[in-house]
Amino acid sequence: MERSFKKEVEALKLGNGETFHGEGILAVTKALLQSGVSYVGGYQGAPVSHLLDVLVDAEGIMAELGVHLETCSNEASAAAMLGASINYPLRGAVTWKSIVGTNVAADALSNLSSPGVIGGAMIILGEDYGEGASVIQERSYAFALKSSMWLLDPRPDLPTIVRMVEKGFELSEASHAPVMLDLRIRACHVTGQFDAKDNRKGQVSGLNRLHGPPRFNYARLAHPPVIYAQEKLKVEQRLPAARAFIRENTLNQTIDGDLTDIGIIAMGGLTNSVLRGLERMGLADVFGASRVPLHVLNVAYPLVPEDIREFCASKRAVLVVEEGHPDYVEQAVNVELRRADIQTKVYGKGLLPQGGEYTSEVLLGGLAGFLQATRPNGVDADALAEKASGIVARKAATAQAIGTALPVRPPTFCTGCPERPVFSAIKLMQREIGPTHISADIGCHAFATFQPFSFGNSILGYGMSLASAAAVGPNMDRRPIAIMGDGGFWHNGLITGVASNLFNKGDGVLVVMQNGYTSATGLQYMPSSKTSRSGVPPGMDIEQTLRSMGVKWMRKVRTYSVAKMAMTLKDAMKSAERGLKVIIADGECQLARQRRVRAEDAVKLERGERVTRTRYGVDDAICTGDHSCIRLSGCPSLTVKPSPDPLRTDPVASVVESCVGCGLCGEVAHAAVLCPSFYRAEIVRNATWWDRALFRIRQTVIGWLGGYNGAATA
Amino acid sequence: MSATRPITLLIAALGGEGGGVLTGWIVSAAEAAGFPVQSTSIPGVAQRTGATTYYIEIFPEPATALNGKRPVLALTPGIGDIDVVVASELLEAGRTVLNGFVTPDRTHVIASLSRFFTMDEKTAMGDGRYDDDKLTKLIREQSRDALLFDMTRIASENGAMVNAVMLGAIAGSDRLPISIEQFLTAIGGGGKAGEANRRGFQAGLATAQAQAEAGKAVAVKKSAAPTLASLEQQAASAYPGIAQPIVIEGVRRLVPYQSVAYAQLYLYRLKPIADADRESGAQGALLKEVARHLAVRMSYEDVVRVAQEKISPERMARIARDELRVKGEPYSVHDFLKPGIEELCQLLPPFIARPILNLAERKGWLGRLYFGMEINSTSVSGYLRFLVLAKLRAIRPYGYRYAQEQAQIESWLALIAEASKRSSALALEIAECARLIKGYGDTHTRGLSNYGKIEAGLIRPAIAGRMPVDRAIDAIASARTAALVDPDGESLAKCLADSGAVAEAA
Repeated sequence: MERSFKKEVEALKLGNGETFHGEGILAVTKALLQSGVSYVGGYQGAPVSHLLDVLVDAEGIMAELGVHLETCSNEASAAAMLGASINYPLRGAVTWKSIVGTNVAADALSNLSSPGVIGGAMIILGEDYGEGASVIQERSYAFALKSSMWLLDPRPDLPTIVRMVEKGFELSEASHAPVMLDLRIRACHVTGQFDAKDNRKGQVSGLNRLHGPPRFNYARLAHPPVIYAQEKLKVEQRLPAARAFIRENTLNQTIDGDLTDIGIIAMGGLTNSVLRGLERMGLADVFGASRVPLHVLNVAYPLVPEDIREFCASKRAVLVVEEGHPDYVEQAVNVELRRADIQTKVYGKGLLPQGGEYTSEVLLGGLAGFLQATRPNGVDADALAEKASGIVARKAATAQAIGTALPVRPPTFCTGCPERPVFSAIKLMQREIGPTHISADIGCHAFATFQPFSFGNSILGYGMSLASAAAVGPNMDRRPIAIMGDGGFWHNGLITGVASNLFNKGDGVLVVMQNGYTSATGLQYMPSSKTSRSGVPPGMDIEQTLRSMGVKWMRKVRTYSVAKMAMTLKDAMKSAERGLKVIIADGECQLARQRRVRAEDAVKLERGERVTRTRYGVDDAICTGDHSCIRLSGCPSLTVKPSPDPLRTDPVASVVESCVGCGLCGEVAHAAVLCPSFYRAEIVRNATWWDRALFRIRQTVIGWLGGYNGAATA
Repeated sequence: MSATRPITLLIAALGGEGGGVLTGWIVSAAEAAGFPVQSTSIPGVAQRTGATTYYIEIFPEPATALNGKRPVLALTPGIGDIDVVVASELLEAGRTVLNGFVTPDRTHVIASLSRFFTMDEKTAMGDGRYDDDKLTKLIREQSRDALLFDMTRIASENGAMVNAVMLGAIAGSDRLPISIEQFLTAIGGGGKAGEANRRGFQAGLATAQAQAEAGKAVAVKKSAAPTLASLEQQAASAYPGIAQPIVIEGVRRLVPYQSVAYAQLYLYRLKPIADADRESGAQGALLKEVARHLAVRMSYEDVVRVAQEKISPERMARIARDELRVKGEPYSVHDFLKPGIEELCQLLPPFIARPILNLAERKGWLGRLYFGMEINSTSVSGYLRFLVLAKLRAIRPYGYRYAQEQAQIESWLALIAEASKRSSALALEIAECARLIKGYGDTHTRGLSNYGKIEAGLIRPAIAGRMPVDRAIDAIASARTAALVDPDGESLAKCLADSGAVAEAA
């Protein structure tokens, strides 16, 4: 894993009377242990990768509590795991990145929520929405609606988040439905504190096992004919039970204010931002006391009709603040009021944007619009609106002040990344045979869609690249190339892509990036990793798997060998042989490798063993500042600097200190016939007598010949 | 309603710079000081050197004095609501301004002047760097005050990560109600990392406290190569004015490149340009640019030049000292060369080279057949190989490439002189086009071809009076920029078509 949580794990041991300090996602983990879970699992992805990483690092504590941890191969397998709570009084939680993970899990979720659960089942959703998000922008809300799962959207402060986890399990058990806890990116990473409680052991767990299954009960299956009855159960029993629980336990919060004829209904997750907006307008204080009454929906679904009616009844107008499209809550509020024949006007989308993140200034604009529309007594709505529009106008004003737009800075392949050379090779291959259709996938390799590569014609989801090229190949002169990471391969690509292609006697080229980890999500292990969290190699191998499935044309190429990779790609594109052609691009994730190698080198240095350090460089007197090398390599450590030559104005290429000596720039300069300015420099620490003698002889002779003999540094 | 508001802090950083750790330090220092504090971030995949931000709110009243009340702290930064912006990089500091977060009424900016160039800036075929001065001007204008210095340099000088220097700068700026001791405690930890962090912190602190605005490191000019003083003197006296230092630099370059006679040729070639400059009233600007480009063109990159540079003692000393930080350990330097047929023919006399090149072209070897080699320049045999190549300098003037280059240079100079009769600005634009011709192999071929297109489509028609001078000046300038936009020549073709360039056949 990229980040170690050994220190943070200590916080998971806290008990009654102690205070927990830390990140939101860690607080959730602690809350799970306080709730007495018997099993946890999930699939990694920002912003909930840390939850799984922490659990992996906390295996000791988990063992003490008898909690089973499963690092699932995808979200569907994680969702299916919740099936343990259908028949048994087991509390369990799984986590993934939403919306994408929920999509993958959807089949199991439907089949879980139809029979319902007796043990509390919770799904922690990392809602990857808004600034910093990396997936398509959709709401997870739809899944809650269609499958009758409850959706918690807690206020983003740690005590509330922790309480909602604990209450969420009770809610799940009281209503026999799975519960989803939705956390936005910033809420996952928000820091704070809460009063810890002792961890609880599950009623049934690895320490106190069941003796066998219950008597056969057909009603626990998602299978006809009981599915018809289950559908009715959802609306006739589970929904009312959930609403009653929410009301009895006041999971939603109402903040009273003196402007009683208007109000705001806000999703819990947006409440702090709404309160800050009101505070900036002078309508709230910093402690959350507001002049405008607020109804805070820590439970976004289901709504409690009585709560809504009570809050709205005495008001002329309310503003519904919910992020994203469609406006499910606004619609539901309208329906409730209509049914109760309450004439309160409902504002929402329109004053606030239909789509996109509700940032500070967006909310400020929406709140000002609401005040202007409703004109509460004693509030100068126009002045507030003017102030808000001044704030929103600031961006445009500064843009005008500087004139030209700033260059963007998307994430990119790390220095020394083994995947980047593959795209250098594709660039070289395309120079010869022309542009090719490239179906991209999810993973670090998707950074190739950015400069300097700009590769990728479609992205259809994790592990979907090969499948998404199925109908392209037969309709195009040149074979399409599908790029897939080893993470995506095991997550989905093996079945969805490879099996389907072979089954249909497809053609095409598949490049599998074998770097040994799911790197983009934070270097987690996966089935073909060299080792695992237990230290035992998982033993699954991509090449063997593909051979046994019947792939005939397969080449394994070290990714840094750019010329060889370009040649192999060309072969795959031009080969007369029909059928799937797989190139396994082999190279360990450099982030992981560096961490290991640096530690090993430090030990060797300490022990006095011979260690060579390699780095690459560019001769600035030879570089002419064309930057072809950068366009082909894209390495973060290969950058530009002002030309030291007073006669040249274009900046020259330069390799900076962070170079890890992967050798790509040399390979690229060679394969592409760029320029002779690259060099590799090596220094030997703890040199042997032979190293020293040879070096001394060489220096002496070169000195005689008029060259540099090290006199300046000796 | 309470008058105290949270102090808001927006940190802009690049993934992998330790922005998360910095945020953690500030949070624990604030907690140690007893203040309610909250931080959020949106790391995601931005950790892979993408731009990212961290946001902190500190409520500057001790939690114990609030009678159990807890302030509601926001998760997103608000425009017009930011007290301190901290940025590890100048462009990212600028980005916070453009996103509206820096306002003159309250925002203090603490930012590094260092640049970590974006991919778009790096991949440009010429100079794609964003204008630093524009950024610093914007930051100063839009902020309440700005503390700007090169944090990356200070970090590397102190063997620390930039985040420690940033923390020091925050402490030194005195904008947060947190003492230096509390910050130091937050950094905590022993070991090598802890020590490095403390060093970085102290360095950042000292710089911030001194409010000294260290200017950016001035590019070190290369030391003058040994040359004939008389020639330099001649250059100095013949070309007074703004062109003088460039002309002297040109002479200094060309003597070791080829010979004193060659440098004299340079001065001789500049004479008509100097006259043209005077007559067209360019006040030295034309002469200066031509002198600069002419020196570069006359010292074109061939095998001899590369060999000379590869074994120059200054180069080896620089690599050993600055890059490897050699302290007596053995080291080696390996160079990558991959000459093709054209490179091999460069030094052969034209009457031999031409038939070979013609044959190679017919056989399709050009751009296909190369001789890759990796030479250990620190070994005796490797050194000797380069030495022999460097010594071939003597036969260079008899070679194919020399003849080709000189002809191209003469033609270019003639165009400039001719154009100056119409307008010095036009002449200057033509001179600047030399910028396109650079590099090796494909790059060089592409540059020559782009230049050729501009010459045929714009320069010659303008000189011949078939295109209005003003329009030609603009068109040449934009064509030159377009030629440097993409390597495929799409922009240039479009630009030439748009500016009504005369078809190449003309």
